Amino acid sequence: MADGKPNLTGLWQAMGTADWDIEDHSAQAGPFFQLGAIGAIPPGQGIVEGGEIPYKPAALEQKKKNFANRFKDDPEVKCYMPGVPRAAYLPYPFQIIQSPKDILFAYEYATTNRLINMGKPLEAATDTWMGTSNGHWEKDTLVVDVTGFNGNAWFDRAGDFASDSLHVVERYSLIDANTMNYEATIEDPATFTRPWKINVILYRHREKDARLLEFKCVEFTEQLLYGDLVRKSNSENPGK
Amino acid sequence: MNQRTFLWMSALGVVMAMAPISSVVGQTASQTSAKSGKSSADPKTPWGDPDIQGTWTSDDTWGVPFERPKQFGNRATLTEDELKERAKNIEHNEEFVESGGANHSPAKAQIDAKEKGEAPPPPPQGRFGRGVDAAPVPGHWGEFARRASHQSSQIVDPPDGRLPPLTPEAQAKLDAKMKLRRDPLPASWANWSIYDRCISRGVAGSILPVIYGNGLEIVQTPGYVAIRYEMVHDVRIIPTDGRPHLNSNIRSYMGDAVGRWEGKTLVVETTNLLPDRLSIGANGDGGAPYSEDMKITERFTRVSPNTINYELIVDDPKTYTAPWKVAFPITQEPGYKLFEYACHEGNMAMHNMLSAARAEEKKKAGGDAGQK
Amino acid sequence: MRNKLLIAAAGIGLLLGAVPAWAHHAFAAEFDVSKPLVLKGTVTKMEWINPHAWIHLDVKNPDGTVTSWMIEAGAPNGLLRRGFTKNSLPPGTEIVVEGWQAKDESTRANGSNITYPDGRKLFIGSPGTGAPGDKGGDKDK
Repeated sequence: MADGKPNLTGLWQAMGTADWDIEDHSAQAGPFFQLGAIGAIPPGQGIVEGGEIPYKPAALEQKKKNFANRFKDDPEVKCYMPGVPRAAYLPYPFQIIQSPKDILFAYEYATTNRLINMGKPLEAATDTWMGTSNGHWEKDTLVVDVTGFNGNAWFDRAGDFASDSLHVVERYSLIDANTMNYEATIEDPATFTRPWKINVILYRHREKDARLLEFKCVEFTEQLLYGDLVRKSNSENPGK
Repeated sequence: MNQRTFLWMSALGVVMAMAPISSVVGQTASQTSAKSGKSSADPKTPWGDPDIQGTWTSDDTWGVPFERPKQFGNRATLTEDELKERAKNIEHNEEFVESGGANHSPAKAQIDAKEKGEAPPPPPQGRFGRGVDAAPVPGHWGEFARRASHQSSQIVDPPDGRLPPLTPEAQAKLDAKMKLRRDPLPASWANWSIYDRCISRGVAGSILPVIYGNGLEIVQTPGYVAIRYEMVHDVRIIPTDGRPHLNSNIRSYMGDAVGRWEGKTLVVETTNLLPDRLSIGANGDGGAPYSEDMKITERFTRVSPNTINYELIVDDPKTYTAPWKVAFPITQEPGYKLFEYACHEGNMAMHNMLSAARAEEKKKAGGDAGQK
Repeated sequence: MRNKLLIAAAGIGLLLGAVPAWAHHAFAAEFDVSKPLVLKGTVTKMEWINPHAWIHLDVKNPDGTVTSWMIEAGAPNGLLRRGFTKNSLPPGTEIVVEGWQAKDESTRANGSNITYPDGRKLFIGSPGTGAPGDKGGDKDK
């Protein structure tokens, strides 16, 4: 870029199965045997530095409850916004648009997007799903400080979570022109005994004409969320 | 006003319609400085594209009728007197918001009347009129124009500022949709708009001004212009590298946009839209659902540090018998920023409205309707 | 001719657009216009969320019991742009809500008018910035 900073603009995506579970996990059955192998959960190497998430005892109990109810309670099931850092390792691409002023992250999933404020840091007015992001450069690394979370997002489909006092610091740095290292430091004294880190490699989409598509999944959740409130005498499909 | 003065003013109106619409009776547009570039008249990004970046809002066009009232005929701009009237209304809005407005408590009025044994007062006519179906939550939750627009309508072409006729097919779709909307006991979420379902407002609906949430952010990088809308957190990544549209088998609510620069104007063409869902109107629901042939062309021209002249051309021969155009300025306002608008995550209204309908049905059936 | 034009202009929605008043669903789909109410209580939580903000209110009933109500308010982003934040209606604040009850659930209502017990209106103007004539905002500022 003209200001000497690396240009992170591009269509990026993580590989692996971190969205299923950010800790090491074996292959396991999914919720519907009818889907056979398609509905099963693949194995994966974790992305947590040190292997285990340092939950406080009460929080670990909550995580276990979340896990037991994950196919009902995971916000991703309902097409809710993924929060940070989960947005970085969803199994869907995201676009970075880096302007000389601010940096836009647009995720294919649920049309989630956030603008990283690169100017004077702003305080979060309210608690939100994607938090309030303030960024700055440390040499060639984009550092994004995210606060103001509402505590409703999960870290993965395995029930890993944090409270509304979550604080995340992300670090994006190019390893080469087509590969980016993503590191996030997670801090939440209400949930964890200490700060901890995750590490993910992001790969640039290099297919010809690759572009961000739209995965608006709300309509695929309406039957789930409102199906029991539909007038029963409706003989046809309640609608698109 | 005599005939000659009227004609002179009409002529002036035509000229004014083409000029930047940025001043107001008694107020001047704020003078924020340009973001980058050598001259503030035509700011450029460091890589040489026109710079249209920033946070913009269509607030100033809120209150301008979408279709021109018939009495105006082909007159696109207001007279001085009409402009003064509109400016007065805007001042009134501001006072209302700052001071607490009229003592607007129709609920209390109803209760008081009942206690006194009087007839209940007429349904509340909030400042937006139309009885109980209008906003009983007072207007200070909304956002308003800061300046009086000179325009008599948002539609500027055809010359009468009114929609061209619909095709019979489109009229049938509109009638079917209105039937769903007007059902007092809605059967399912499909009775509501794509906006009410917190899915999208579409390309036009995301910028046509409504009572709040009219902001958008434009972010540029070499080869792209990105637009991010507050409500309902939609985003468009517009390549300006001349690539073709996606194959027509990939369709979406916001469509596929490609852009090019014509001088200092960004021209964006959007196709690949999902048919039979959104329409071109306020919040993406104010008209006939458009077809798979819809093509939307937009033009963004920055005419001053804090004003972009915006145009939206609608072309869908299966829906409208002729193309038509909307135009109005979008402005930068000091301190105006976007906030997260996570809609679906908090859409208790959808659950509550369906729940209310089922409860009413149960009551009507005497409690044995078979609903749980 | 001039007067007629002005009257016509004023009467035909020149100043107000043809857009429906409330950007989305009809009030009547959710609330019962024949059930107006006035609730006085203590805020336990204020959710600054879209598409509607929700105020959680504990209301003391005449018999001494407490009922928890949920009050539907407007969309918050316009207020956030005027300087309101999540601290602008802290738990513990006493407020009076005038509005209408929900059709299907007895402890939900639409809050059309929300005031402090002394009659000062909530959410009007901008929050406590100390500006002359400032009326709304944080009680503890």
